[in-house]
Amino acid sequence: MMKLAGNRTLVLGASVVALLVALGISQAVLDRSAAAQSKGAVQAPRFEVDPLWPKPLPNHWILGSTIGVWVDTDDHVWIIHRSSATLGNNEKTLETKQGECCAGAPPVLEFDADGNLLRHWGGPGQGYEWPDSNHGIFIDHKGNVWIGGNGGPDSQILKFTKDGKFLLQVGKKGARRKAGSGAGNQEGQVAGFVGGSNDQESFGRVAKIFVDAKANEAYIADGYLNKRVAVLDADTGKMKRYWGAYGNKPDDTPLPPYNPAAPPAQQFYNPVHCADMSVDRFIYVCDRVGDRLQVFTPEGKFVKEQWYEKNTLNAGSVWDIAFSKDAQQKYIFMADGVNEKVKIVDRQTLQELTSFGDGGRQPGQFYGVHSIAIDSKGNLYTTETYEGKRLQRFLYKGMASVTKENQGVVWPTRSTR
Amino acid sequence: MTKLARNRAVIVGASVLGLLVVLGVAQSVLDRTADAQSKAAVQAPRFEVDPLWPKPMPNHWVLGQTIGVFVDPDDHVWIVHRSSSTLADQEKGIEKKTAELCCAGAPPVLEFDQAGNLLRHWGGPGQGYEWPDGNHGIFIDHKGNVWIGGNGGPDSHILKFTKDGKFLLQIGKKGARRKASAGAGNQEGQVAGFVGGSNDPMNFGRVAKVVVDPKANEAYVADGYLNKRVAVLDADTGKMKRYWGAYGNKPDDTPLPAYDPANKPAQQFYNPVHCADISVDRFIYVCDRVGDRLQVFTPEGKFVKEGFFGKTTKGSGAVWDIAFSKDPQQKYIFVPDGMNDIVRVIDRQTLQELTSFGDGGRQPGQFYGVHSIATDSKGNIYTTETWEGKRLQRFLYKGLGPVTKPHQGVVWPGSNATK
Repeated sequence: MMKLAGNRTLVLGASVVALLVALGISQAVLDRSAAAQSKGAVQAPRFEVDPLWPKPLPNHWILGSTIGVWVDTDDHVWIIHRSSATLGNNEKTLETKQGECCAGAPPVLEFDADGNLLRHWGGPGQGYEWPDSNHGIFIDHKGNVWIGGNGGPDSQILKFTKDGKFLLQVGKKGARRKAGSGAGNQEGQVAGFVGGSNDQESFGRVAKIFVDAKANEAYIADGYLNKRVAVLDADTGKMKRYWGAYGNKPDDTPLPPYNPAAPPAQQFYNPVHCADMSVDRFIYVCDRVGDRLQVFTPEGKFVKEQWYEKNTLNAGSVWDIAFSKDAQQKYIFMADGVNEKVKIVDRQTLQELTSFGDGGRQPGQFYGVHSIAIDSKGNLYTTETYEGKRLQRFLYKGMASVTKENQGVVWPTRSTR
Repeated sequence: MTKLARNRAVIVGASVLGLLVVLGVAQSVLDRTADAQSKAAVQAPRFEVDPLWPKPMPNHWVLGQTIGVFVDPDDHVWIVHRSSSTLADQEKGIEKKTAELCCAGAPPVLEFDQAGNLLRHWGGPGQGYEWPDGNHGIFIDHKGNVWIGGNGGPDSHILKFTKDGKFLLQIGKKGARRKASAGAGNQEGQVAGFVGGSNDPMNFGRVAKVVVDPKANEAYVADGYLNKRVAVLDADTGKMKRYWGAYGNKPDDTPLPAYDPANKPAQQFYNPVHCADISVDRFIYVCDRVGDRLQVFTPEGKFVKEGFFGKTTKGSGAVWDIAFSKDPQQKYIFVPDGMNDIVRVIDRQTLQELTSFGDGGRQPGQFYGVHSIATDSKGNIYTTETWEGKRLQRFLYKGLGPVTKPHQGVVWPGSNATK
């Protein structure tokens, strides 16, 4: 953990004590679960896709790569997508004036529980730098909207009101550009841009933001170019601390490609794709390409890690997480956009219990399932990037015994026809 | 109409006479319909998407661009798709060995039953025939055999198989349209390396679709993405009997200027000639996709009439495929438009559009590149999508209803209205 300014030894000491207590409790819970499981089948939340949600958008609007979802306290579902920048010319013929279907919708969209579109806004404006490629959305405890970006020069994050009024920009766009280099717009460590994971002012292509209401701190999954979690004061945007994999000081030296047979990398791969906090105040970090989830204290002390579909290469298996809605958050729901699954993970043991979904374009199938969120009733929402370009809802159907490692596509039981 | 071999003057004469009779009847039906319509609202078939059909496939199989659909007499739904060649690496992780749980391209020819279960699946290169580089269009004939075209760079042939995938017949040679001394090329349209040959009696030029007339045992070939004609073959031997271009003109492969709705109608077809289907009263309906028009001919290639649809549509055009309604008269035709992403419901006699449904998007009942269409015995409609749509969808027939909107939007089941 890289601490910034001020002496926090006392706080750190207290955190370590709290951590040890928490770990002890976890172990006790784990032992009890194991005992219970030896007596009966493992239970896990069960879901069914809702094939007719949300409602079709007005104005022949369509979604581009949809790379963020969050549910606010009113159970309104907010998504962010890349709109026209990721639509083929033959798909946006209203824009290209070749036909009457369709046009990219505004990047930020809000839906009510019935699937009606409510507010819609986003894009360049006065006083801030809109990302080249917006990425991730979060609504904080004050009702404000946070947005990252993973386009070539994106090294800033933005905060707006729910109506789209600009509030705060942290970091400057273009901060990661190498001196004397031309323009570039590729993901990863490519010509023109270089990681700066020890920069206290700007970021490196941020994937997602999560605000801890209690401490009023924003956790930044930073990112597609940097290799760290950064923690900010959520009001001022001032960076307070940051850390890399295992709590190490981040190092931007390029890693060899992920190899499941090699010893675990001591730094994060790009992208660091999520950094979400649980009710008991642990930070869960998605090392997407490393196929692993790492758990930290809020101060950046490494707690534990787990791998999922460890042989997954390419874009990796650990894309985003959401916590279950029970008071203890017993389960983690994890999106895997290469294997096209939502995994259901026991949060204490980090063991996968079951999964659902498969590749394809039908309801409940996925192509690049990228982001995941949950509402107050325990329903799940997923968004898809690549050519998936959808928002889907999965209705919570209570607990059920786990009978299959993978449940496949979870369709509603249909009446005989 | 360009006639091949033998003198068919007598037959042509008889056909023209038949045509005149039919046209007369059609006109009187039309007059009565118009009269009825002045008293009541126009009626049209209504549909609702079936969001959970067909069932997910086994083996983590996914569809590539899905560029053909037909329903056989058992109401089994046959599709042809381009599988792995149109799937991105990140979508076929099992094939690329980058993922273990998803996914791989399904075999190109797939058969589904009414419950949406996958039955037979086959297709791809094999002994004794040349599989197309870009298979395109599927049809099951009255003898229960499967016809397939192809619009890949060198594809200038069509294939016939049994329903089990046993090879029966190849007509035309792959590569026949390659220019002498040209390198390999694989683009649609008149591109470097290949050139149209719409007067070739042996080979084709990137065939979009084949339909067989059971009565005459003749195959109508929508030819194609490189040629500019309809070709008619003996369905058993494959021997070409006649062919024609737009308005029944002799086809001419000279490149046309880009389609412009303000210009006078082109006297040749644009590429691709995308469908050539026969109605119960024996008219041939030809999709001039980029020209935004449907042209109607006699079986002998005599031009009867044409209708324009979505006439301001540019790019890939508005008239992609056709299916006839299941009433004995085939009163309606259904035309998918993959550029505007709708299905048009058209009065077959007047060629007037009555209404349309659908819109762009990835949800049920939406489309991205709605490419092919077919109907089953109950009047349900099946559509397939190319580009990144890559789906087979079913729309359930809900009876005739008054037309209240020129465009119905996405047709979801009614129960959702109160959700």
